[in-house]
Amino acid sequence: MTAAIDIHHLDKSFGRVKALDGLDLRVDAGTVHGFLGPNGAGKSTTIRILLGLLRADGGRARLLGGDPWGDAVALHRRLAYVPGDVELWPNLTGGEAIDLFARLRGGTDPVRRDELCQRFDLDPSKKGRTYSKGNRQKVALIAALASDVELLLLDEPTAGLDPLMEAVFQECIREVKDAGRTVLLSSHILAQVEVLADQISIIRQGKIVETGSLTELRHLTRTSVEAVTDRPADGLANLAGVHGLRTADGQVRFEVDGDQLAVVVRELGDLGVQGLTVRPPTLEQLLLRHYGDRLVGNGAGEVA
Amino acid sequence: MTATTPHRTTPVGTGTAVTGTGNLLRFMLRRDRFRLPAWTLGLPLLMTYFAAALDTIAQTPEDLAGLTAFTSSPAGALFGGPGFGFDDLTIERFLAGQYGLYVLLGAGLMGLLTVVRHTRTEERTGRAELVRANVVGRHAQLTAALTLTTVMAVLVALLIGAMMTSRGFDAGGSMLFGASVGAVALAFAGIAAVTVQLSEYPRAASGTAGTALGAAFVLRGLGDMAAVQGSGPSWLSWLSPIGWSQQTAAYVHDRWWPLAIALAFAATTAATGYVLSARRDFGAGLVPPRPGPPRAASWLAGPLTFAFRLHRASLIGWSAALLVAGVAYGSFTQPLLDGFENAPADLVEVMGGGSGDLLAGYLGMMGLTMALVVGVFAVLAVQSLRAEETEGRTEPVLATSVSRAAWIGGHLAVVALGVPWLLLVAGAGMGVGAAASTGDAGLLGDLLVGHLAHTPAVWLVLGAATLLYAAAPRMLPVIWVVLGYGLIAGYFAPILELPENVLRLSPFEHVGEYPLEDVSVVAVVLLTVLAGALAQAAVSAFRRRDLAGGA
Repeated sequence: MTAAIDIHHLDKSFGRVKALDGLDLRVDAGTVHGFLGPNGAGKSTTIRILLGLLRADGGRARLLGGDPWGDAVALHRRLAYVPGDVELWPNLTGGEAIDLFARLRGGTDPVRRDELCQRFDLDPSKKGRTYSKGNRQKVALIAALASDVELLLLDEPTAGLDPLMEAVFQECIREVKDAGRTVLLSSHILAQVEVLADQISIIRQGKIVETGSLTELRHLTRTSVEAVTDRPADGLANLAGVHGLRTADGQVRFEVDGDQLAVVVRELGDLGVQGLTVRPPTLEQLLLRHYGDRLVGNGAGEVA
Repeated sequence: MTATTPHRTTPVGTGTAVTGTGNLLRFMLRRDRFRLPAWTLGLPLLMTYFAAALDTIAQTPEDLAGLTAFTSSPAGALFGGPGFGFDDLTIERFLAGQYGLYVLLGAGLMGLLTVVRHTRTEERTGRAELVRANVVGRHAQLTAALTLTTVMAVLVALLIGAMMTSRGFDAGGSMLFGASVGAVALAFAGIAAVTVQLSEYPRAASGTAGTALGAAFVLRGLGDMAAVQGSGPSWLSWLSPIGWSQQTAAYVHDRWWPLAIALAFAATTAATGYVLSARRDFGAGLVPPRPGPPRAASWLAGPLTFAFRLHRASLIGWSAALLVAGVAYGSFTQPLLDGFENAPADLVEVMGGGSGDLLAGYLGMMGLTMALVVGVFAVLAVQSLRAEETEGRTEPVLATSVSRAAWIGGHLAVVALGVPWLLLVAGAGMGVGAAASTGDAGLLGDLLVGHLAHTPAVWLVLGAATLLYAAAPRMLPVIWVVLGYGLIAGYFAPILELPENVLRLSPFEHVGEYPLEDVSVVAVVLLTVLAGALAQAAVSAFRRRDLAGGA
């Protein structure tokens, strides 16, 4: 499979702040790639380097086979971008902005543009300064989705959308994927990435700390187990890979490492299991494992 | 688990529409801890500056008498006032009657900006919503803003009165002059109390109130001109809040009663503001926002046309303002010539008539003035580029197939073409006005050439500003030094006796002030080439740097 995005050891500093610290990222063509991380981890910086808006200090980045800085204009014809904070021109209407973006990129399908305006319930005759954050976001999304491009770079694209519009957005991304296009979807909204992404990369402090499919990543983390057994199950605590076991009202709860699950389930059977709930890890838990130390240390100390 | 009665604070009293005004006022004073002293000290200091400047210009009674000719002319009336007691001129009469106008204008601005800042701006940003959710009445915000403005107006009145008294002028007249300045602030606070109800946007509110200020200036200008000439509609002055303050005739008739009109006007407009505010929803305006075209016009398709679309509103506004200003200044050519016949030599020299040809000197100086004004347009246009970038609107454009060179080049081209266009408009306005005033149609051609000849100098400023923006965006404000120096070198060189090579540091000192001096073709070519080189350097610098903006 060819790579739409191929990044090796990218570095970027702003003054003394190291925004990217040897970042590696590969996005296969035709996939939806979730780019997950807390605010300030380097997601937007990576995307801005891919757009040629920032120049990397070191490393190598290839975008659709080209150089993001040198071939910026040619590459931009083949991609569309939605920033996290969409700002519009106060005295241009939303419709004018959509058309303008489309024309500057090289043209769109007007039927699709109108259809998207309807689906996203956007009034294109309002002036930019009268739109709410969510509506500005819709303008940028419609402009991007209406264009016939190979790659969509979406930087937290649904931050201001309500759940209904979020559902429309997910539908649109599935259509994009069915059409064989590539999507890089940056987010800290885990549920969204979970639903849409084929592959996920987790970025932390300018480095990719995990990458793989959701299934692959689940092996890396712990599964939550709740069980009711005939005989006391306290002995399970001595098994390798079992963590945080506690018993209450005849029910045992614990977490187990992904690769030890089979052993533990066999053991539960021997203990005469009557009820069993096994929950796969959510992306929250995946993240908690990577940022857990920090969350415990200073819960709210996140850098915006 | 607990036996104590739950402690609950019950609402005390019923609360009125102005509940919370006191708290809001304290909060506004805290927010304006620098702004309030800046205004209330700034206006008296401006008056002090005028007083000190006049002392140096008019050191003998003869100097003062020489000024009378100018101030009693229609031009003097337009830019000064009705000229009470100018037939027996004293320093204080001249200060109040001629320079006082600019302090009155400043007070009007202070009043309207303060009210807009603390009402509509707060509502627009959403901060007022948080405030109103507390124990704050419907009218508390407006009441507190008007109270704050009143406090500022009273402070300005007292300080100006005290300052003028301390210079040895009549105490009664000084206090009256101070009060007349404060009255203008109140009148325009009242007007702003109405305009903030009309539109959702603070800029529209201050723009509408500012237009009223401009209209007040023009109305009393026309009325005062008629009064000085002794014929025509001098009653026009009585339609203007600025006019009421000037009609007090401080140091001459010392009439207090015109200020009663100003106070009644302020009270009526403020009351109207309250009534209107009760008829609209929070955050909304009485005038609903108009929808625009749902599709972009077909010509709006590339970086160049897009740049034009963004600068279009500004170009239209500047064109209109320069045309009006041009016609106005042009039509004073003849009255000015008449007025200057007996003016002191220093003043003639300042007004550009040093070589003896007063007409050519005046027209040449107006060309330079317009060039400096168009220079302001160019610098503001480059500053708007920086705002585009830092506010995150450039980023999505550069993420399309628009190259950096095309983006900055498109804007540069539009502004560069706007420069000769605006000079042409200003020159045409001046020319038509001057030709009509003097009856010499040939002046139109002279003025068009004289204005357009400054194009390369403004281009040089534009090129330098763009290079600063492209290479070191934070340094962009430095460009104002060039314009400021251009102003000083152009106007005050004869007084300051600057040496020739120091003078020539200003880009505006090379082309020549036609028709007083010939246009230097060499300078035109050199300045154009230099401006082009700066623009080229700007484009390549912009291609190298990181784009700012966003988180």
